[in-house]
Amino acid sequence: MTDTEVEEAARPEGSGPSQPVLDLPDPWPKGSDHKYIGSLYVAAAVVFLVAGVAMALLMRAQLATPEAEILGERTYRQLFTLHGVFSVFLFLLPVWLGLASAIVPLQVGAARMAFPRLHAMSFWLFLTGGIMVCIAPALSDVFHGWALNDPIPVRLGLPGQGPDFLLLGLVLVLMAAVLVVINLIVTVLQLRPPGMTLRRIPVFSWSMMVSGAVLLFALPVLIGAFGLLFVDRHYGTSIFSGFTGSRGGNPLLWPRLFWFGAYPMLWALLIPALGAVSEIISTFTGRPLFNRARASAALVAVGVLSFAGWGSEVGTLNRGARPLFILGALAVLAPVALLVLNWLMTLRMAGGDGDGAGRMGSTPMLWALGMIPVLALGLAASVVSAVDAGRDAHANYWQTGQQHALFFGAATIGAVAAISYWGPKIWGRRLSDALGKLEILAVVGGTVLSVAGMLLLGIQDMLVHTATFDDGDEWALGNLVVSAGAAIIGLGLVVLVLDLLGSVVLRRGRAAGADPWGGQTLEWATTSPPPRHNFDALPEIRSATPLLDVRTAPSQPPEGTA
Amino acid sequence: MSMVAVSGTENLPAVASNQAPVVLPTGEPLPGPVPGRPRRGSSTIGTLLFVTADAMVLAAVVAVYLGIKEGATTWPPRGVSVSTYLPTMITITALMSGFSVQWGIFAARRNDGRNASIALILTLFLGLAVANLEWLTFVRTGFGFNDHTYGTLFDILTGYHLLHLLAAIVVVLVLAFRTMAGHFTEDRHDALRAGAVFWQYTNVVWFIVVTVLFLLSRHG
Repeated sequence: MTDTEVEEAARPEGSGPSQPVLDLPDPWPKGSDHKYIGSLYVAAAVVFLVAGVAMALLMRAQLATPEAEILGERTYRQLFTLHGVFSVFLFLLPVWLGLASAIVPLQVGAARMAFPRLHAMSFWLFLTGGIMVCIAPALSDVFHGWALNDPIPVRLGLPGQGPDFLLLGLVLVLMAAVLVVINLIVTVLQLRPPGMTLRRIPVFSWSMMVSGAVLLFALPVLIGAFGLLFVDRHYGTSIFSGFTGSRGGNPLLWPRLFWFGAYPMLWALLIPALGAVSEIISTFTGRPLFNRARASAALVAVGVLSFAGWGSEVGTLNRGARPLFILGALAVLAPVALLVLNWLMTLRMAGGDGDGAGRMGSTPMLWALGMIPVLALGLAASVVSAVDAGRDAHANYWQTGQQHALFFGAATIGAVAAISYWGPKIWGRRLSDALGKLEILAVVGGTVLSVAGMLLLGIQDMLVHTATFDDGDEWALGNLVVSAGAAIIGLGLVVLVLDLLGSVVLRRGRAAGADPWGGQTLEWATTSPPPRHNFDALPEIRSATPLLDVRTAPSQPPEGTA
Repeated sequence: MSMVAVSGTENLPAVASNQAPVVLPTGEPLPGPVPGRPRRGSSTIGTLLFVTADAMVLAAVVAVYLGIKEGATTWPPRGVSVSTYLPTMITITALMSGFSVQWGIFAARRNDGRNASIALILTLFLGLAVANLEWLTFVRTGFGFNDHTYGTLFDILTGYHLLHLLAAIVVVLVLAFRTMAGHFTEDRHDALRAGAVFWQYTNVVWFIVVTVLFLLSRHG
């Protein structure tokens, strides 16, 4: 498919029949092309997203009315676990790794990934792991909760091969993610063209470097944790079970180990969303990001501080450690808020200019703007979560609301914004603008609605794992609101998937052209989709926004052409 | 055509004379890039990042070990006593292999293929000796994987090192053949350096394992 696209894009108008662009033997075949592998990651992630949302809708149908009997308690528990695992490990992680694989080399002006074959291998590793996770619940019941923290001790309550498959599948997924991250970092460090200094890297690539650095330290901890849990289950050892003097292990270790890895990982999956939205806002306001240096520093600060708050998710904290984790969980919010201020300043200055106003209504920009209220809601909820570290707000629906606002809401809406912004570059077709507005309304509105309901249920202390509730409970209203919001999100996602299928897969969308948005960074200096080797030639790079430089100084002919 | 000098294109064929020229919105064609040399050393940087991630897996296991040790009444459990003789011999041998692999790199940097080959073969020999000693340690511990958590974690930690060592032996074996075939020169020995980084990392794993299992836990 990409081949024909390259041909189409490469055919000069009115010229004779086109020849294939790459008719010579190619040492880096299509199977290891970063745009192709990135697209595969994104496609797989979207499939898993649909599955994860379908599970959520089933659960919300069960909880929409009191004393419903749509799902049994047991089925509910399984869906509950799988929904979390799918959303985080099989959607959010691969969608960002996929987008970054496709975009980052283009943004920094590289012709390929640093290790193309490793990149290809990582995808098939990921897919194998994902399929194993899908098979797991068919074999036997899996854990309860995506933190896999119930039942511990794991061996007693949970016989069968299902959990083992789940753990091994997740280990493969995480290994693939680590390999992609290494590949991306080396690509940025090593394959930049002259002039593209580290300070001039576009802000999305920068955010992926930060996110990659966090994942490089966080994901291996989860690999180790899942590996040890697998050993415990499969070989009957007792690392995470029983206090029997010197013979047994320590069940309190599991939540500590899990959240030490998972907490920074969640933030690392929000960081690229922040980067993508920064990029989109600066493109559609037609000016560089306000105080770019501070924005880049804020992203780094989010990455560093994301390691400080993991203890706030652990219920059995030492008294002495709790204040530190409260501070840590609060500290990470500050640079995110600072970044939001930077966006607002960029928007305000663009409003002062008066130009660019016509492009503020473009679909990617609307997605980016829609992300801001959801992010703000998530930040506000996080303040309460942080202050209540390790207590009720992490056992009841407040946690559900906070995590869904930040890591479903903001991170996912950011990812969709990125798909609508860079999708035309990678696939050569634009998504529908009319449907886009409907999707934004449904996804953003539904997210705000359901998160509000979740936070209400949190105040009413409905526990996270609740599978049904009584007729007389005060929870009825909140649950109805959450279910209604979820249904609206589901509707929006159905339209989005149909839009992607129609515009991109069936190629009904408008052809994108090299630079549909007036971009400022290098990926817009080549055809859409780009040829296998990305660029025939690059403009001179003298700042973080090389295309903006060329555009804003048209009177001076660029060096070398005069 | 000659202006296609984007880093990473060195392996690609010259392409696309039929490609539509990319034109900026202002109507000007894009100027060509300044030709530059691609940076060397990607494999070494990639390996450094890989061993960082790998060390975090080890850190997770070590954290679990220390957490369980903290909560245990007696540690290691009564009746468990592992001789420190073999681990000491392994440590000395591992240190020597660390020197020999660096010798290989210094030799390759001077275009001295003969010394480089000798150094790598010596490294392989020392690595196999470590693997053999480690296997002997396993056999002689006197407890099983499933007897108690100390046994489980002892085997996991030493096994983690042994797996890395076996992988490193395969890597250095390939590098030794490549050295003998004359693949590495003063300018081009990135793969050799990356392999050496991985070899040294397996030694670091051993030093961490021996510290955790022996220096921080009293045997005897």
